Amino acid sequence: MHSESSLREPLILGHRTYHDITVDLVKPIEDKAPRMWYILITIAAIIAVYGVGCILYLFSKGIGVWGLNKTVDWAWDITNFVWWVGIGHAGTLISAVLLLFRQKWRMAVNRSAEAMTIFAVIMAATFPMIHMGRIWMAYWVFPLPNQFGSLWVNFNSPLLWDVFAISTYFSVSVVFWYIGLIPDFATIRDKVVKPWQKKFYGVLSFGWTGNAKAWQRFEEVSLVLAGLSTPLVFSVHSVVSFDFATSVIPGWHTTIFPPYFVSGAVFSGFAMVQTLLLVMRKTMKLEAYVTIKHIEYMNIIIIVTGSIVGVAYITELFISWYGGVEYESYAFINRATGPYWWSYWAMMTCNVISPQLFWVRSWRRNLMFTFFMSLVVNTGMWFERFVIIVTSLHRDYLPSAWTMFHPTWVDVGIFLGTIGIFFTLYLLFARYFPVLALNELKSILKTSGESYKNGTAPGHAVEHHH
Amino acid sequence: MATTKRYWQDLGELSDAPQVPTNEFNQPLALPDALGDKGLTGATTGRRDFLKFLGFSLSAATLAACETPVIKSIPYVTKPEDIVAGVANWYASTFYDGEDYGSVLVKTREGRPIHIKGNPRFGINLNTAARKGNINARINSSVIELYDSHRLKGPQLRTGESAWNTVDHATADKAIVDQLTKVAASGKKVVLLTNTVISPSAKAAISAFRTRFGGTPVTNADGTMTAGGNVSHIQYDTISHNGVTNANLKSFGLRVFPSYDLTKADVLVGVGADFLSGGGSGNENTWQYSVRRNPDNMSRHWQFEARMSLTGANADERVMIKPSQVPAVVIALHDAVARRTGGSAIGGSAAEGLSDRIEKCATELAAAKGKSLVLCGSNDEGTQIIVNSINALLGNYGSTIDLTDPTNFFQGDDAAVQQLVKDMNAGSIGALFIAGVNPVYTLPNGAEFAAGLAKVGLSVSFSAHADETASKCGTIFPDHHWLESWNDLSPKPGHYALAQPTINPLFNTRQWPHSLLVWSGASGSYHDHVRATFGPMADWNQSVHDGGAEIKPVQTLEITPRPFAGDLASAAASAKKSAGGAGAWEVELYTTEGIGSGQHANNPWLQELPDPITKVTWDNYVCMAPADLLELTGKQHVRDLRIGEQDKAYMVKVTANGVSLELPAVPVPGQTPKTVSIALGYGRGANGEDVGRAASLRDADGSVTVIGKSAYPLTSIVNGTVAYDAVNGSLESTGARYEMGLTQTQLTGMDRHSIIKETTLSTWRAHDPRGEKDEQNGYNEKVMLAVHEDVNHDGHINAHDKVPATEVDLWGAHPVEQVGHHWGMSIDLNTCNGCGACITACHSENNVPVVGKDEVRRSRDMHWLRLDRYYSSDMTHAKGKTEGMGKIERYLAMEEPSASPSVFFMPVMCQHCDHAPCETVCPVAATSHSNEGLNMMAYNRCIGTRYCSNNCPYKVRRFNWFNYVTEKFGEVNPAWDELGRLVLNPDVVVRSRGVIEKCTMCVQQIQAGKLAAKKAGRPVKDGEIETACSAACGTGAIIFGDLNDKDSRVAARFKDERAYHMLEEIGVKPNISYLAKVWNREEKPELAAAVTEEAHH
Repeated sequence: MHSESSLREPLILGHRTYHDITVDLVKPIEDKAPRMWYILITIAAIIAVYGVGCILYLFSKGIGVWGLNKTVDWAWDITNFVWWVGIGHAGTLISAVLLLFRQKWRMAVNRSAEAMTIFAVIMAATFPMIHMGRIWMAYWVFPLPNQFGSLWVNFNSPLLWDVFAISTYFSVSVVFWYIGLIPDFATIRDKVVKPWQKKFYGVLSFGWTGNAKAWQRFEEVSLVLAGLSTPLVFSVHSVVSFDFATSVIPGWHTTIFPPYFVSGAVFSGFAMVQTLLLVMRKTMKLEAYVTIKHIEYMNIIIIVTGSIVGVAYITELFISWYGGVEYESYAFINRATGPYWWSYWAMMTCNVISPQLFWVRSWRRNLMFTFFMSLVVNTGMWFERFVIIVTSLHRDYLPSAWTMFHPTWVDVGIFLGTIGIFFTLYLLFARYFPVLALNELKSILKTSGESYKNGTAPGHAVEHHH
Repeated sequence: MATTKRYWQDLGELSDAPQVPTNEFNQPLALPDALGDKGLTGATTGRRDFLKFLGFSLSAATLAACETPVIKSIPYVTKPEDIVAGVANWYASTFYDGEDYGSVLVKTREGRPIHIKGNPRFGINLNTAARKGNINARINSSVIELYDSHRLKGPQLRTGESAWNTVDHATADKAIVDQLTKVAASGKKVVLLTNTVISPSAKAAISAFRTRFGGTPVTNADGTMTAGGNVSHIQYDTISHNGVTNANLKSFGLRVFPSYDLTKADVLVGVGADFLSGGGSGNENTWQYSVRRNPDNMSRHWQFEARMSLTGANADERVMIKPSQVPAVVIALHDAVARRTGGSAIGGSAAEGLSDRIEKCATELAAAKGKSLVLCGSNDEGTQIIVNSINALLGNYGSTIDLTDPTNFFQGDDAAVQQLVKDMNAGSIGALFIAGVNPVYTLPNGAEFAAGLAKVGLSVSFSAHADETASKCGTIFPDHHWLESWNDLSPKPGHYALAQPTINPLFNTRQWPHSLLVWSGASGSYHDHVRATFGPMADWNQSVHDGGAEIKPVQTLEITPRPFAGDLASAAASAKKSAGGAGAWEVELYTTEGIGSGQHANNPWLQELPDPITKVTWDNYVCMAPADLLELTGKQHVRDLRIGEQDKAYMVKVTANGVSLELPAVPVPGQTPKTVSIALGYGRGANGEDVGRAASLRDADGSVTVIGKSAYPLTSIVNGTVAYDAVNGSLESTGARYEMGLTQTQLTGMDRHSIIKETTLSTWRAHDPRGEKDEQNGYNEKVMLAVHEDVNHDGHINAHDKVPATEVDLWGAHPVEQVGHHWGMSIDLNTCNGCGACITACHSENNVPVVGKDEVRRSRDMHWLRLDRYYSSDMTHAKGKTEGMGKIERYLAMEEPSASPSVFFMPVMCQHCDHAPCETVCPVAATSHSNEGLNMMAYNRCIGTRYCSNNCPYKVRRFNWFNYVTEKFGEVNPAWDELGRLVLNPDVVVRSRGVIEKCTMCVQQIQAGKLAAKKAGRPVKDGEIETACSAACGTGAIIFGDLNDKDSRVAARFKDERAYHMLEEIGVKPNISYLAKVWNREEKPELAAAVTEEAHH
């Protein structure tokens, strides 16, 4: 048994026994869902259906129903893609990197962060699919054997790298998430009484027995998957950034992009985790498990990654000046002062200035403020991608091709739709899956539980440190 | 182990003995019975068999009913001798519509004309230097009008107010002859109102008609007799040049429009003369002008004008004047020239503030005596007499102006037309036949003409559409399209051009002179008539083959030029009168490169052809000086006036001659302040007339949007001729906004020197253009890149270690050098005048879809080839730095065009980069590089990620946002209807929705050319393969060829001192190179002032 300094804030508040944890976390599954859940999922589903309708409309008419043009061939589609991929970053970082670093606080957030990752990656993958002019040929991006002789994908294309990066990331994330869920499903299976629930969770738990060998293998697999996922955290968004970095377009052609994109992704991912957890914590009464300390930890990560992003922005500006390249210099001046100045300054305000407010301890421990900031950060990160994509394209090399991009209702509808789908999936997850990794929480109960730390737990004395 | 239980049926089976019988139900199949004569009733076919047959038949029938696309390919029963399926036939022919003229070659595929280019062997429009026929966009795109399904399908007899009956020719002819006979008997006048007829056969037909219906012959002033005094033939030019012809009559006794020879003009002065655009000999002027824009032998071009015209945009010196100042400028120029050449001055000119420029211009003119030319666009007789006097003082007659061999164009007589309108309203016209003109639409008093038309007993139109005039006539005999016609055309005395049909008439139409012949009782086809008229002048077959014949020796010229004998004093008085009463705003009316006078409003390619200067499609508008528009709108910067997808144009109301017109205002730098210019030719079909498929936009709900507004009502009759200026106008803002489709919304070039390279003639001359290419010539320098290597061997690695940016390369070279072909293109920015004929030629050759105004507004034009236009700005980096301006401020200032800018035209198509950025990024390798240097696009493989387009530094790739062929804007798209589809080039696939397309360098032509050479067993000859744009470029600015052929023209041009690649420093290695623009002017070029300084940093 590890012991932990009493100076560290406890990660599970009050007195909780192993049984309490099981009861707390299985209760929402067993009970009838709260009214709020029905309201939320109805709203989310309506938005989702509207988004699907917009997508179908897009399929029936053509890409022209978006606001794109000959100069700006990507705008909201790829902005949304990169935004969602970025959001999907926190999950793996929490489950893999923090596992390797033995950050115990991850136990309370990893499950929902991973779920968020998976849903976000699904939303992200939607955009490169639907942005294709001929979606019915989408499978051509896979290196499938075919009868056309030497017809093969183009391995030089960053878009193809995306295909591999995203699909790898998605599959590893799903496996990691699911393996973590197995013992919890087994716990639920053992707890619930309704026959269909027993059957349902029985199937999902893959016949978990909970014997020592199974736990040992579980730990090993988790470690292996963590090792496998860690490079993915860095690779996915680096590869996504190659879409831009390897191009010749001023404002895209930037070597700083891979680290800048990765930190931006973690930044936005944690913001989204905050958004979701704060709501879930409240509605599902998980205050004992998702503590202020958890929120604070994540806000600290937001400060760090937000600062990296800020440095990256400033570095870009510096290089555009220092490099002395006419076109690049203009690209950045145009970002800040051109027709899309408002998007640039929205990005700068949301991403560079706002996270610095978290240096104030009381603010970063304030739930309402954190919730507000998480929305601000995600707005800012959406603008970051918009700024990179649209302001670089709309005025590139030849002034004769310069033009503006204006979104249509379909652009907006599909973006909102993905948010709707995302929340629908997340709400279903929150209703039917254990939202916190209850077996992992149990593993830290006696080291980080409040009552064990301060000795108020029945039958446990405070360890004396000499 | 078998698990199925088996049951034995007899003991034999159990004991494994030979089974008897081996097959218990050994019966033959019932099929023969079922299908036999006995039929089903008598057959032994059982129920089960019946069900089997039934089931099979049902499923087979169901399967067979599944729709599979049936593409009919019907072989010829009797193959025409010259037609080989898949091989194009070219026929020489001639285009003339009263507005434009050109000798052409018509490409036909399987009997369908699909493409038109200039005749490289014959014609007045033949560029003798480049061996190319020069035709404008209106001519090369006219092929699509043949397939306009809105053309009238046969003779129309009016049966009611708006009811028409389509009849056959015999019925209609009988009706006409009966009525004509009555009219002839009544003694009322019969009038033929046509455009300028330059066809001897048509003239012969008119004579025959006169003889038949004209009653008693009349005696002319000179004693000759003209048959048929009751029949008169009035010629009327839609865009009148009557002022010029009248002036020549008064100056020289010859009522002609002269021939010009711009190749002999060292100094060329245009006063409001858009001689590179416009009709008549415009195609001749253009190539002649281009020959002298070569820096080796460069002319100097002055332009005084109100609107930034295409001609003015090419001028070395451009002076902004108001239309009312034209007479003053002409008089001042006359006097300045007179002082230098010893002529007598007129005096009394008040060209305020312009005397410096006029004096300088006159000095240059006088220095180039006999090798200069002054052209004026005014249609005022007095003004033109003074211009004639200037040219006479300069000794230009006999060198740059030919009166002994004038053109036959523009014989129109405005006074006669006005008299006709009076006579019609007076009821003295018994019959009126209208061919080739549309007076209700184009006359200043069109409404009056329409009113008179109602009083004419027999009114016949020969229009192909029930247009503004035809719809008010009693009968319409629709004319052939010119590609269905035989014709002989004589643009100049002794020059006989022939037009031959390249397709059988699609509808029940007839050429109008043929109708006259038929009514006159002549028999035989019009072909017979043309051939009989042509007679033994030259070998008929050879002439048809060549496109015509020069018959100069046979032709005896009856005209003898006289010295200038005009009355200058009265001319000046009348000229001044024409500009009298100038008000606050002056209105100038002009014709655009595309729509022209409005005859071709049904041509979607022309409607979508952006104006060379303003880049506007599908609309006419009010050109305004940016300063004026800023004042009107209260805006601060020209960039705030930009018209884009969501930035609508401001509507203004222009009033002149008592007529008001509400149109959107477009800021045009170079427009003289307090003047506005409006294009004629728009607003066709405003009263619901059907003038063709693309002439008005039809919405999904069936509502019709007229394209633009007609400005003809703003014209007026001044001094007896039509005036295209209204000097006393007013202008007000209506407060409304209007959506417009522009293909380019940015005005300036932003001081980007690797795009725009230009210099002055003296800078160019300072470097030996034929020696080794000088990299330090001050205007076309290589971009250098500092490398981390001691390349200058000074022992240090520092910023002085520079290599040309193009030498730094991550890539392996493509195997295109020295091996096989390496296709390339060179574009001379000096000879390119921005006319845009290449754009429509590309449309026609490559089946480029027409996408309509709404898509153009969304920056989704599909042009594979576009003409970039940049205005100079008063701000440059160098200037801003010296003035201590910050970078942000500088860039904003650079977006502002000069009030009187230089204009830089640049044709841009796919640059076919050897290191193409588009190729690497396509995930499915749909775009790749050929081993001949072409960047290829496999539409079938494209999945439409558009990454290639994003990564294209030149933004030349185009995406099919919708299914333009069948769904979106099908109304205007040629591929939309059964008939329109016939214009498609079968060698080029029609692209579907969701794929990227772009310039292929006309790869189909390259393949065809290679095949022809291979079959002939010889290498491909230089010039044998032409792309659509290079063939269409009559000035020779665009040249295509094989860079690996060391003797090719294109290889030589790549080594030229002026040759550069656009954005060379980004290392994409394009196969298109440009020749830097040289201005024949003294001051530093405004656009590229700082190139030297920048390059040395």
